[in-house]
Amino acid sequence: MMTNPPISPALAVAVPLLSAAILAAVRKWLPRVAMDVLGLLASLGTLAITSILLYGSVYHGASVYWLGGWWPRGSTAIGIGMVVEPIGAGLAVLAALLTSLALLFSWRFVDSGQKHLHPLMLIFLAAMCGFSLTGDLFNLFVFFELMSIAAFALCGLKTEEPAPLQGSFNFAITNSVAGFIVLTGIALLYSVTGALNMAQIGLSIGHRHDPLALFACTLLFCGFLTKAAIAPFHLWLPDAHAVAPTPVCVLFSGLMVELGLYAVARIYYAIFAQSFAPHAYALHVILFAFAVATVLLAGFMCYAEHHLKRMLAFSTVCHSGLMLAALAAGGPLGLAAMMTYLVAHAFVKGGLFFLSGVLLHNQRSITERELFATARHLPWAAALWILGAIGLAAAPPLALLLGESAAERAAELSHLHGLSAIFIIGGALTSAAVLRVGMHAFFGWGDGALSDRSAEIGELPETDPEHRRLRAYHLIPPALCMLLAIALFAYPHWLHILRDAAAAMASQPAYLHTSYTGRHVALTQPSWREAIPGAVTRSLLALILGLLLALSSVFRNRLPRHLRVGAFVERGFHPLREMQSGHPGDYVLWMTVGIAAFGSAFMLFLRR
Amino acid sequence: MPGVLHSLPYFVAAWLLLCGLYGLVTSKHLVHAVVCLAILQSSTYMLLLAIGYRVGGSAPIFADISTSKLVVDPVVQALMLTDVVVEAVVVALLLAMVVKAHEKSGSVSPNDLRTLRG
Repeated sequence: MMTNPPISPALAVAVPLLSAAILAAVRKWLPRVAMDVLGLLASLGTLAITSILLYGSVYHGASVYWLGGWWPRGSTAIGIGMVVEPIGAGLAVLAALLTSLALLFSWRFVDSGQKHLHPLMLIFLAAMCGFSLTGDLFNLFVFFELMSIAAFALCGLKTEEPAPLQGSFNFAITNSVAGFIVLTGIALLYSVTGALNMAQIGLSIGHRHDPLALFACTLLFCGFLTKAAIAPFHLWLPDAHAVAPTPVCVLFSGLMVELGLYAVARIYYAIFAQSFAPHAYALHVILFAFAVATVLLAGFMCYAEHHLKRMLAFSTVCHSGLMLAALAAGGPLGLAAMMTYLVAHAFVKGGLFFLSGVLLHNQRSITERELFATARHLPWAAALWILGAIGLAAAPPLALLLGESAAERAAELSHLHGLSAIFIIGGALTSAAVLRVGMHAFFGWGDGALSDRSAEIGELPETDPEHRRLRAYHLIPPALCMLLAIALFAYPHWLHILRDAAAAMASQPAYLHTSYTGRHVALTQPSWREAIPGAVTRSLLALILGLLLALSSVFRNRLPRHLRVGAFVERGFHPLREMQSGHPGDYVLWMTVGIAAFGSAFMLFLRR
Repeated sequence: MPGVLHSLPYFVAAWLLLCGLYGLVTSKHLVHAVVCLAILQSSTYMLLLAIGYRVGGSAPIFADISTSKLVVDPVVQALMLTDVVVEAVVVALLLAMVVKAHEKSGSVSPNDLRTLRG
C-alpha cells in the first residue's frame, strides 16, 4: 500500500513562495529589521518542513504525494507527483539550511535599496526545494527556470557596478539557452513515450534503445550540465559568482550548481539506466572525460585568479567536475560518493564564501593584493579559512574525505582508472589557491601578491562604511558551516542512510516501486570503509602538494628561477584566460561545441 | 508529399533553433541578443505544437464533442503556455538589464559590457 508523506511536500514550495510574495508586497512599509526577521523565519519554517519530510522518508520509507489527489490510473500518471525520498528531501533540507545561514549573514547587508533580497532569496529557496522533490520531468524544467530567474535577479542585485550586469546577463543568456535545450529534450522524450512523469517515462523506455530518446538524453544532460558548470558549459559561472552578493554566492556555489548534477543523476537512473545498461562503461568514460577536462581547466584557472570570489568560483567548477567524476564512477556507490561530496562541499565552500564576505566587509576589498597582510587581527577567520583549504583537498577532519574514498572504491569496482589522480590534482590546485590567499591576507607572508585583470576591477563593499566591525552574525555562519562539515566526518552514521537511499535511487525498479506501488525493494551495496586509509594518504598528498605550490608562490623571490612553479602557474595560461572572454556569444558558441561533442560521443559509443 | 508536410514543423523548429543560436553567437547588440533568445525559444513552441498535432484532430474541449473523437494533444499545449510565461519573464528581465547597462555605460554592445575577463 502506498505510504503518505507526514506532511504535504507541496508545503516546502508553497511556504517560501507565499512568504516571498507577502514580503515583496509589504516591503515598502517594513523597516529593514522586520524584513530580516520575517525572511529568516520563513526560511527556518521551510527548514522545519523539509526536516519533517526527510525524517519521514528515512524512518518510514520513501513516499509519493500526488498534487490535488490525482492518483495514477494503472501505470499512467495523470497528475504531478512529488517523490519524497531521503536524497531529494536531504537536498531540500540543505537548501533551507544554507538559505537560513545566508539570510543571517545578510543582516544589515546593503541591498539594492528596494529590499529585493529577501523575497528573491525565498523564491530561490522554493525553486530549489521543488527541484529536489519533484518526480515530474516538466515540473523539473519549471523549477529549473524559476530557480534560474530568481538567480539572474539575485546575481545582478548590485546594479551600481558594471560587472554584476555583465555577469548576470551572461548567466541569463547561457542558462536560458540551457533551459530551452532541456525543454527540447523533454518534448522529444514526450513524443517517444507520451509521458512526463519520470517513473512512467522510465517504464515506457525500459530496455528499448531508441535513437530519438538518445538524442533527447544528450539534450537533457547538456542542459543540466550547463547548470552544473561542466566544461565547456562552465564559462558563465565565474562571471556570475564573482559579482553576486556574498550570501547569494553561498547558495549558488553550495547548492544551485550541484543541483544540475543531481538532475543528471536523477534522469539517468530513473529514465535511461536500463536502456543504457549494455553501454554503461562507455557512458561512464564519456562523463569521466568531461569531468577530467573540467577539473584540469578550472583547477589551473582557480590558481591563476586573485579576485577572491572569482577564485572560489573556479574552485566550485573544479569540484563540480570532481563530483561528476564520482558519478561517472558508476553504480549506487558512485552516486552515494557524489552525494556525500556534494553535502560536505556545500558546507566548506559556503563557509569560504562567507569568509570572503567577512573580508570584504571588514577590509573593504576582495582582491588578494589589497588584502595583503591586512587581516592579521582576525585569528578566527584565519583558522576557518585554513580549515576550508584543508577541506578542499578532501583531507581529514572534513567530510569531503568520505566522498573521495567512496568515489575511489566505486571507480575500482567499475574498472575506471585515473580517478584518484584527478582528485589529487583538483584538491591540490584549489586548496593551494585558498592557502596562498590565507598566507597573504591573514599572515602577511612573502612580499606582496600578484594580480590580474579581473582582480584589479575588484568589488565595492556590500555594507555601510560606518559598520566595519565584525558582529556575531558575520562569523556564526562560516563557523557553523565548517563545524557541520567536521561533524559529518566525526559522526558518519548518516552514511548508512545515504547509502541505502543512493541504492534505491540508482535502481530503476526500486524507483518505479516507490512511485507506483510504494513497496520497498531491499537493496545491498558494497562497503567502502576499507578505502578510507588510502583516501587519507591521497588527501594528505594533495594537501602537501597544495601547500608546496602555495609556498613556492608566496616566497617566489627567494627561490631560484627554475623553482618558481607557483608564480608560473599563478600567471595563468593565455589560451585558458582568453576562453573566459566575458562575451555571451562566445559562451553560447562553447556550449554548442560542447553539445556537439557530447552528442557525437553519445552517437558513436552508445548506439546499438 | 503529405510526409514532407508533416515533418515541415520539425524542420522549422530546427531552423529556428539554429537561427537563434547563430544570432546569439554573432550578436553585436544586446537587444539583438535578447531577441535571438526569443527566436531560440520559438523553436520549442514549434516543436511542442508539432508533437501534439494529430491529423484531423479537433480542439481538445469535450464540452460539445464525444470523448471518443480524435483531438490534438492538450498536454503539450499546456506545456507551451507555461513556456510562453517563462519566456516573457526571461525577456523582461534581460531587457531591464540592457536598460541598466545602457544607463551605466551608454553602450549596448556586449563588447563594452564585459569588465571581468580572464
